[in-house]
Amino acid sequence: MGKLGKIIRMEFRLTVANKVFIILTIVGPFLIAAVTILPSLLSGSGGAMGGPATRIALVGADPRFVQEISPAFLQAKIEVSAVQGSAESLDPQVQAGVIDGYLVMPADLSKVARLEYVSKNAVDFRVISVLQGVIGKAIVAQRLIKAGVPPLQVASLTQSPAFETRQLTHNGEKKKNSDFVTVLMTGLTFAMLLYMTVLLYGQVIGRSVLTEKTSKTVEIMLSSVRPMDLLFGKILGKALASLLQYGIWVTVSAAVLKLIGPRFGLSIGFGLTMSTLAYLVLFFILAYFLYCSLYAALGAASEDEQHLGQLAWPMVIFLVIPIVMISPIITTPQAPVIIGLSLFPLTAPIVMFLRILVGAARPWEILVSIGLIIAATAGVIWLSARIFQVGILMTGKRFKFREVLRLARSR
Amino acid sequence: MIELQSVSKSFGQLRAVSEISFATRDGEIFGLLGPNGAGKSTTIKMIMNILAPDSGSILFNGSPLREADKDRIGYLPEERGLYRKVKINEMLHYLASLKNADRSSVEKRLDEWLARFNLVEWKTRTPETLSKGMAQKVQFIASILHDPEFIFLDEPFSGLDPVSTDVLREAVLELGSMGKTILFSTHNMEVAEKICSRLLVIDHGREVISGSLADIKSRYGHNSVAVEFDGTIDFESLSGMVRNVSRFPRWVEMELAEGASSQALLKSLLGQVSVRRFEVVSPSLHQIFVELVGEGGKSGSEKAGE
Repeated sequence: MGKLGKIIRMEFRLTVANKVFIILTIVGPFLIAAVTILPSLLSGSGGAMGGPATRIALVGADPRFVQEISPAFLQAKIEVSAVQGSAESLDPQVQAGVIDGYLVMPADLSKVARLEYVSKNAVDFRVISVLQGVIGKAIVAQRLIKAGVPPLQVASLTQSPAFETRQLTHNGEKKKNSDFVTVLMTGLTFAMLLYMTVLLYGQVIGRSVLTEKTSKTVEIMLSSVRPMDLLFGKILGKALASLLQYGIWVTVSAAVLKLIGPRFGLSIGFGLTMSTLAYLVLFFILAYFLYCSLYAALGAASEDEQHLGQLAWPMVIFLVIPIVMISPIITTPQAPVIIGLSLFPLTAPIVMFLRILVGAARPWEILVSIGLIIAATAGVIWLSARIFQVGILMTGKRFKFREVLRLARSR
Repeated sequence: MIELQSVSKSFGQLRAVSEISFATRDGEIFGLLGPNGAGKSTTIKMIMNILAPDSGSILFNGSPLREADKDRIGYLPEERGLYRKVKINEMLHYLASLKNADRSSVEKRLDEWLARFNLVEWKTRTPETLSKGMAQKVQFIASILHDPEFIFLDEPFSGLDPVSTDVLREAVLELGSMGKTILFSTHNMEVAEKICSRLLVIDHGREVISGSLADIKSRYGHNSVAVEFDGTIDFESLSGMVRNVSRFPRWVEMELAEGASSQALLKSLLGQVSVRRFEVVSPSLHQIFVELVGEGGKSGSEKAGE
């Protein structure tokens, strides 16, 4: 085994034998499962939570009308009741939680232009969208009947057509495309996954390089191996350890979700095709190594952990930019700024992946993007080896980038 | 053979090493001496290729140090450090394996050395539990475990108790007698005097003196001779051999002149008087060192570390 291999093995062992690593590996899948299931438990159909139905009073509504529409509401676990009297008199009941909210219904529904819903939780989009859908549709139906349309035809007349999108790809094929929400969710999940991974493992690598300096072992190591070997060994050793952890996490949490997921009406998978999945893995690994080598460089440049944290901030911003810009990236993937971001190595992994997802990336752009990321990674590792060597002299001194560049050139 | 040819290194304004040249001979113990901040560590780091010299060249058996040569070198850096979470035997095996050493012979040597330094019970513990002196001994073991031909020790004796110093000194001498080329830096002149065959004294990054111990002593030490005698000495006949003569009726103390040999003086005296006692008081390396760098040492102490 070469020296690099020995370093990789040692770093792998050091990482895997760490108590925090073991605990995280065991606890991780449950956290992932919890994070995946909880939101759907909280905001999904209230039934999953076994919570009580939402009670809504329709003020001044015709009881017959209420009876007509209540089955549609019951599906969404909303109980509606007709109440007579003034709206203000219901305020205390809302405050006390006897009812969850009330909707003021005017006498002549066919002429109404605006309805007012009062509740303590004005942003409960689930209730509001059901109200809008059911009551809105009922009102339109009433208007049509008043205009002389036979009641039996109303349903088919008010039915809006289903929309399907077809994307014209570069080779002229018209393929069925995923909708905005699916792309958004896939992209966001990828970006968040990358963000979390980089924060978690990048820091481990940065700290490991920093410790090499602060524990003064670096000189002994450098008397046997090249700085490049030491850094590559660290990055690869830790990367293998984290891949092992990831493998365990993904397998176990997939199993957990498969076992208990259906009970909560959850389905796994974002409808990825094999090629997008391949791109996802490729860009994930590329981004992972780029950011890990950046962290290694920062670890070599910093003097303590606090300093490392400060230096790391500007870098983390490049991970946040694509997350913040995710909507414009999906809707206008051909804008020059977006194309630029998809080629710039620090933002490329997420942005280019999103552009591939919406089918906007040309093959040469993908290749250039991948090439730039690899080149940047190699450059960063080279630079961190130089900083590392220079950094030996600088323990206890603040890192000045200019100084590093000067010393990097001097050799 | 390690050869330095007018090597210089500066850190910003600070000229750490200036035009240093020397060559070690195979199988000798070479001492790099100097006060704190003289440039000893910087010199050793440059030999190890951890720092690059600004000018001059460093040759290892006639050519610049190659990556493969590192396996034949053992290095004890001035800054001691071990991985805190790794057991001592694992750490030592790891470091030896990075020198491409054979595992089974390393295992054998590891036990021998741990026994020698009284560290056997620490074999499977982590360095966190070690005292500073113990950690230093572990690190010394790390530097020689792969049985290197060349051993560079940066301040190997600093911070050791007298017993450990003796054990380490014996170990270094033994390695020297096995034919290893040993280069070590120290400011401890007593130890240096006991184990070096040749040495180089530097101060403020410059060479102050170099050569064999005997050579340096005869060149720079002003050997004094004390003589107890019966008879009359003709001091005129001794001019050129001695100076600073302190005369008494039957006893005299004289400083040997430069280049004069005490044996020639004794012969000359035997022809004139009956010598009852003849003693050459040789100066210690310590004395020479203080004399040579004493002035510079004072200003040097204000300088930043090496």
